[in-house]
Amino acid sequence: MAPRNRDDNFMDVDSDSDISLLGDVEHRGKGKGKSKTTDKRKKDKGKAKAKEQAYTWEASYTRSWDTVQEDEAGSLQGAVEDLMARGRRRRLLAPAAAIRRTIIRHLVLLLDLSAAMMDRDMRPTRFDLMLQYAREFVVEWFDQNPLGQIGVVGMRAGIGERIGEMSGNPQDVLKCLSERTRLEPTGEPSLQNAIEMARSSMSHLPTHSSREILIIFGSLTTCDPGNIHDTLDACVKNKIRISVVALAAEMKISRDLCDKTGGQFGVAMNEGHFKDILFELVPPPAQRAVARAGGPGANPAADLMMMGFPTRLPDSSPPSLCACHSDMKSEGFLCPRCMAKVCDVPTDCDICGLMIVSSPHLARSYHHLFPVKPYEAVTSMEGESMPQAACHACARIFSTSVSTAATSEGMSPWGRYRCPDCHNDFCAECDVFVHDVIHCCPGCGK
Amino acid sequence: MEKASHLSVIVDLSPTQWHLSAQTSNQYPLSIETFLSQLLAFLNAHIASKHENSLVVFGALPGKSVLLYSSTELLSDDVPSLDANSYLPFKLVDSTVVQRIMNEFDAIGELEEEPSCALVGAVTKALCYINRITHPSSTTAGVAEDPSIVHDPRILILSVSPDLSSSYIPIMNAIFSAQKLKVTIDVCKVYGPDTVFLQQAAHLTNGSYIYLERRDALLQYLIMSFLSPTSIRKILAVPKQDKIDFRAACFCHKNIVDIGFVCSVCLSIFCQPLPVCSTCSFLSIHSNDSMLLAPFSLLQTHA
Repeated sequence: MAPRNRDDNFMDVDSDSDISLLGDVEHRGKGKGKSKTTDKRKKDKGKAKAKEQAYTWEASYTRSWDTVQEDEAGSLQGAVEDLMARGRRRRLLAPAAAIRRTIIRHLVLLLDLSAAMMDRDMRPTRFDLMLQYAREFVVEWFDQNPLGQIGVVGMRAGIGERIGEMSGNPQDVLKCLSERTRLEPTGEPSLQNAIEMARSSMSHLPTHSSREILIIFGSLTTCDPGNIHDTLDACVKNKIRISVVALAAEMKISRDLCDKTGGQFGVAMNEGHFKDILFELVPPPAQRAVARAGGPGANPAADLMMMGFPTRLPDSSPPSLCACHSDMKSEGFLCPRCMAKVCDVPTDCDICGLMIVSSPHLARSYHHLFPVKPYEAVTSMEGESMPQAACHACARIFSTSVSTAATSEGMSPWGRYRCPDCHNDFCAECDVFVHDVIHCCPGCGK
Repeated sequence: MEKASHLSVIVDLSPTQWHLSAQTSNQYPLSIETFLSQLLAFLNAHIASKHENSLVVFGALPGKSVLLYSSTELLSDDVPSLDANSYLPFKLVDSTVVQRIMNEFDAIGELEEEPSCALVGAVTKALCYINRITHPSSTTAGVAEDPSIVHDPRILILSVSPDLSSSYIPIMNAIFSAQKLKVTIDVCKVYGPDTVFLQQAAHLTNGSYIYLERRDALLQYLIMSFLSPTSIRKILAVPKQDKIDFRAACFCHKNIVDIGFVCSVCLSIFCQPLPVCSTCSFLSIHSNDSMLLAPFSLLQTHA
């Protein structure tokens, strides 16, 4: 009983630090079971969606056209603008407090390949839908976590089965998820076997990386060779974060797995909700339990690491032996310190031990550090002697008439959004594009 | 049948660099007049190669970036007078581009110190423009009737300025968004030393980076390497750069470094070890209670 108590204690600290960090996160509801969607970190969007959508088995057919309202002129402009306004508002509600997020992530994707996955309550089948969403998830995940790695493990016929080795290349992972015939569901799933397999494949990882397991679980049973709580304790000890997306119903053990390891738990109600809760796991998890380091003022340990940025040799260069495999090759990367040739980055140089990384990999995360200031909606044109005629970025001409549809908050009736620094006007489309994709204001150039 | 292609040309118009380029002490002096006449011939060739081809020209001037020409809308009201000896679309491009460059140069005036060229602004504007024409929205009627949906948009950067290391992060952000939009970035280095960031831009977007060795043959370089759309380049042997330099700029002194010190919290790059990371202000000390902390994490702030 003693270790269990310590775990409970740990969880309390955990949730407290959560609040101090995230600010707007609700208190972790201890009462479970009442609602299937007691997921705290869920965004407002997910919550609103969950409320208005019915369970898959309750809905006979969907009437997607009902949600879009035409205006008097029969155009859909109002509906589209309303959707955009919602998007803008959601962005403005993003947490203002600083959050620490893990950058170098290691994730094992645990797929349920048991007979329960052939159920047709999600179309076409749970299995096909899972594969499709898993592929989209992998693409999006690598886009946001360029330094991460994903491995794939399947659960079927009572054993855990390694489907894909841990890899940093999205194409490798996608390839092992695309062979549908190899993954045909059969038998019973075994959570314990599969988690043990995933755990062992992550045991060698260095401490600076996160270890995560994401389980997509369709079955309501698990057949385990031993006590799964021992496995759970081992995962807690190894600081592995387990998240579960259940397709059928909430199981006590899957809830425990998530709660004790600090992961997220969600039950998918229908196809759209399944995708929502799966994709909530794409952004790096907020670093928690920071407060343990001695109050909110204490800074956690951080080190400067020496890294080298290599020069890439082209295919046409004279071939030479590489330092890592002693293969004769033309292409490769030169270590900036000892000029040894290595085949691939990121790696540690085999000769001098310098960590060699490609600087674009690092640069992918910089937009988190230096975000673009949100543009202000221009709500009043008074006092403007010379308003800009066209969008500063894409040169689209601004309309001079006032749009009556856009009366909601955060929208400009002129369709103009102004950068607080360079005072240039941008159209709504560029506003979204600049903040979501480019992360660099075209007016200020930073 | 070949689809219509879109080309955004970004011209680096730094007066100082063009002055240096035109000096006769260079092996192949190239003045901006010669450069413009060769560039206009290239732009005309792009328009002529297919009727639906679209063209946008941006200029990167000291401290600001401007749209010089856009084929989808007329920027100036004064349509040049009809001339029996010239083809109107060519005439339109030539006169608009030259006229606007002259206006901008006149507006610069006498400056003590020339601010750095706004290349990043021009690139981001080109990306916003491409985003607009490749995703015609239903909210704007003017774009929806545009019949040609662009397939492989390209950006050609004609650079004369050296690397501006303070714009490292924005330029990398622009490169990643170009990757997302599937935009190819080509770079032609007309004058000055190789630029590391533009090399990376061309490499990461499958474009070509060409350093002009014979600057008197600019038009030939342009037509042979940059005129063909990406779909045809698979068949042609378009020259690519040989080495790609993956160096980065440090955050503290804006030096371009090959070995840097990287903060394990926010991945900021520094050229020398610092006691405190200036970006995320986390102390680089070992804590006794580091058990629960993963040092690789990121401080995210929303402005």
